Amino acid sequence: MSKFLKTFLFASLVFAPFTASAVTVASWGGAYTESQQKAYADTYSDPSSIVFENYNGGLGEVRAQVESGSVTWDLVDVLPSDAITGCDEGLFEDISSEIAANAVPGPDGESMAEDMENNGLEYHSGWDCCVPQIFWTYVVFYDPDAFPGEKPNSMADFFDTEKFPGKRGIHTWATGIIEKAMVADGVKPNAVPTVLANQTGAIDRAFEVMDRIKDDVVFWSAGSQPLELVKSGEVIMSVAYNGRVGAANLAEGENFEYIWEGQVLDQEYLCLTAGAPNREAALDFMWHASTPEAQAEQAKYITYGPMRASGIPIIKAGEPFGPGGVEIMPHMPNTPDRLAVSIVSDPQWWSDYGAEINERYAAWMAN
Amino acid sequence: MEVTISTAELLTTDGIPLKQSLRKAERRNKLRAFLLVFPLLLFIIVTFVMPIGDMLLRSVDDSQINSVFSNTFDEYKNWDKEADELPPEEVYKSLFFELANGDKRQIGKALTRMNYAKSGWKSLIKKTTREIKKIVKKGEEPVSYKDTFIKINKLWADPTYWYSFNQMVSERSSIYYWNAIDRTFDKDGDVVLQDEKRRMYMNTWIRTFKVSIYVTIFCLILGFPVAHLLANLPLRYSNLLMIFVLLPFWTSLLVRTTAWIVMLQQNGVINGILVWLGVISDDGRIQMVYNEAGTLIAMTQILLPFMILPLYSVMRVIPKSHMRAAQNLGAKPAMAFWRVYLPQTIPGISAGGLLVFVLAIGYFITPELVGGKDGKLIGSWIAYHLRTTLNWGLCAALGGILLGIMLIFYWLYNKIVGIDNIKLG
Repeated sequence: MSKFLKTFLFASLVFAPFTASAVTVASWGGAYTESQQKAYADTYSDPSSIVFENYNGGLGEVRAQVESGSVTWDLVDVLPSDAITGCDEGLFEDISSEIAANAVPGPDGESMAEDMENNGLEYHSGWDCCVPQIFWTYVVFYDPDAFPGEKPNSMADFFDTEKFPGKRGIHTWATGIIEKAMVADGVKPNAVPTVLANQTGAIDRAFEVMDRIKDDVVFWSAGSQPLELVKSGEVIMSVAYNGRVGAANLAEGENFEYIWEGQVLDQEYLCLTAGAPNREAALDFMWHASTPEAQAEQAKYITYGPMRASGIPIIKAGEPFGPGGVEIMPHMPNTPDRLAVSIVSDPQWWSDYGAEINERYAAWMAN
Repeated sequence: MEVTISTAELLTTDGIPLKQSLRKAERRNKLRAFLLVFPLLLFIIVTFVMPIGDMLLRSVDDSQINSVFSNTFDEYKNWDKEADELPPEEVYKSLFFELANGDKRQIGKALTRMNYAKSGWKSLIKKTTREIKKIVKKGEEPVSYKDTFIKINKLWADPTYWYSFNQMVSERSSIYYWNAIDRTFDKDGDVVLQDEKRRMYMNTWIRTFKVSIYVTIFCLILGFPVAHLLANLPLRYSNLLMIFVLLPFWTSLLVRTTAWIVMLQQNGVINGILVWLGVISDDGRIQMVYNEAGTLIAMTQILLPFMILPLYSVMRVIPKSHMRAAQNLGAKPAMAFWRVYLPQTIPGISAGGLLVFVLAIGYFITPELVGGKDGKLIGSWIAYHLRTTLNWGLCAALGGILLGIMLIFYWLYNKIVGIDNIKLG
């Protein structure tokens, strides 16, 4: 046997027990996973026991793992609609009783669920299998240098090409855009989910508003694209993930401005895969990663807001909270005054109508 | 003189008839050959035949939901839609018990499926199940199951929800294939066009073909002269030039796609040069990316090596003397090229064309990034349904159609050019 092979076999024997017990967390990669590594794993009692792996979102791979019986991901970082579907289908394990018993309560003794409800969230079946992470948002941003005169500051401005001529960047799927169009049409941001769910013709209304800018749209599909589009002057303003804009402002010295009105907040959950190989260790990490402290900590590294309401005071008390003495609160999407003009995306409604609306959106884009 | 023919069998030295011995040896050889290829065969079966078979099965399989709602579906088939506006009481009753007693996960999977048939099923069933469980817990026996349902949610009195059952009531179903070409089943189970606003698969199919065919043609037009030049230059020059063909080939797909965005966008390099040269005005910058044009340009460049390489390898072995001989016999250069040279490159053109076309038709990442408003191909939709909606039946149907079309093209190709005429080098 070659020396190399011997060393390899020996090494795998020695390290096998460690690698086997590491909790594998599938997440989105990039700056986001880096912030999770720093805020959740590095502050954990045993940082080396947490391993992050990148994936592209969705439940496709999770379903394949669970159906084939070879589960390698213990935890998966998912969008709320996927948390709901995954929990309903049994791809994620129902741990509602364990969450009730073990999740760390807020400072005033409120349960984790109550803490989230204080942030304007409503229970959905994803809460039975998952613990909360952060709010991220679809926000419109622009380079103030591109507007020597009046600057846009509302959704009505975003959809008004006469007042602000020039191209706009929006994404190639419908989530977020539909809600923004409703706000531009005069619906109060907080009322948008209710109107979408209960009013016939609401969708048609949204598409009519979107028609106004259709000839002036550049469609992007990857999160880094809107920043390039605005920086290069390809578009005058664009929808983007707020964390990307925050990173450009904080780390790259950009000076982008946000239009907080009509921002669409979406949620992010950490869910336990059914049949996870390291169930107990994974659960323990879930309790840690969902504490208000850990969620506030994550804001240091990416401008996504804690989903537990009690995380916000921790950031405020710690200001300047960011690395290098930067104030974080100006970039947080879920401060009370911003929440007042925001839409909290309704994951249940999107998991009901998402496929149909996305098909319609695609037809709209191409025509 | 008499010729005697020996009727005795020929025997080998150990007394076995020669015929038998030969047959045995041949059988042994065959077995050995089979054992040699067996691992590869097994590999192909496991990694190729089985997944494709599984995919094709999924595209017609609706057994999961039929096992969850078997009674309801049986009763549903008895509903006379002309006579009664809503299904009979038995349908509501069996649904009541199947929701009350069913396995939570199985119902969860089924309602993901139901939501493809009609948006809104998911939360309707979930809300209803919660209420039904409460009723069962209290031990009440509803007088009318129909009224109970409608009291829980008025949508249960909406026949359109019930009509969508038509898409799910058979275990083997063609619905996914119909959905993949913008069709669905109406209340009588007949195939009808999908709601006009969400019709987009047919357009995407047409676009996918159009782009694939264009990309193949562009690659041929651009690749042929390059391959010809490479094949006819002295080796030391052609090797150097070959690097220029291969370098992009080895570069990451994402890098090349992003590079095209930089080149083509409105404030990009090409538009900048055109404005500087005065060809177009500053306001008249051309939109060359985030649309179909961007997809065409980027895909052509990315797939070009797949055309050049087979062409080059075929052209290299065509003797130069053929062209000279043709001209010697009186043909003009164009005629010599057309009648003598070109026919000999057909194997390379076929190989390159088929290769580029096959790769283009299933292309995903590049169209996704530069496709923007109207440059996305069918691959994007397969990925979308695979990850986001989990509608694997539709994915499989889209894939099945893609496979079918490929086989048709292959058959056509075999008829016209002949599959023996293909040459990769």
